[in-house]
Amino acid sequence: MKTRSWIAVFAAAFIVFAGLALLLPRIGRGTVANVYRENERIWSVDLSKVEEPFEVTFDDGEGHVNIVEVEPGRIRVREANCPDGVCVKTGWISRGVTPIVCMPAKLVIRIDSGGDTEGFDAVTGGAG
Amino acid sequence: MNVKRLTVLAVLTAAALAIYVIEAQIPPLAPIPGIKLGLANVITLWALWQLGPRDSALILLARILLGSLFGGSAAALIYSLAGGAACFLCSWAVKKALTEKQIWVMGVIGAIAHNAGQLIAASAVMKSAYVWAYAPVLGASGIATGVFTGLIAGLIYRRMKDAKVLKGI
Repeated sequence: MKTRSWIAVFAAAFIVFAGLALLLPRIGRGTVANVYRENERIWSVDLSKVEEPFEVTFDDGEGHVNIVEVEPGRIRVREANCPDGVCVKTGWISRGVTPIVCMPAKLVIRIDSGGDTEGFDAVTGGAG
Repeated sequence: MNVKRLTVLAVLTAAALAIYVIEAQIPPLAPIPGIKLGLANVITLWALWQLGPRDSALILLARILLGSLFGGSAAALIYSLAGGAACFLCSWAVKKALTEKQIWVMGVIGAIAHNAGQLIAASAVMKSAYVWAYAPVLGASGIATGVFTGLIAGLIYRRMKDAKVLKGI
């Protein structure tokens, strides 16, 4: 294939990727932040009902600890003992499709449109 | 496989390992898992053209195994293997369609394949499809870094292919 064609393909692909990367976080409503360990929901909080900032610590019993901070309307991993610290560097998320991911701890935090917080309300301190 | 060829492979494995480990020390540019330059792939690409798929695969496999021994965890090994396998297979597959001046194209294909392989592994390990939210950023960065590493690999290959040091292997 001609070099020109390759350049065209990659330029187009780049534009599509970059466009998606910039646009995707804008979609998605919903205020419930769900925390998943290995895709099992272990904790939830309705960010729109949070009045005072608070923290929750997640310890998986195998040495992975993530300290999650919740403020009105947003959530983040404030501190973690994973080797790369990507989850901490991701910072606050307040809506949208982009989740916070901690691969070593197999922890995923995402904000879904919907989802219920029944049974999980007002959990502070350790959660498994 | 003669002794000289074996030695060349060993030296390349050591070089790839050194590049990989050093690059891992650079702080991530963005808080997204998987964004990196991928400079060690220069060696994989070069070897694919100069030495052939078998030896290129050997160097890659050796580098991945040693790399996880020296720096990573068991989890890192899975992601490295997934990314490396995807990168190698797709690079090898596209080789027939490319000329020596188009090695940079293989760099892009390899980089995208590497990121895709890691996303597949991550979504399997974490049993979550939501890691694919990172796919657009990884795709864009893969194209950019792939061009860069691919150009370097192509340059080195074209300059070195008639070099004395590579005679008789």
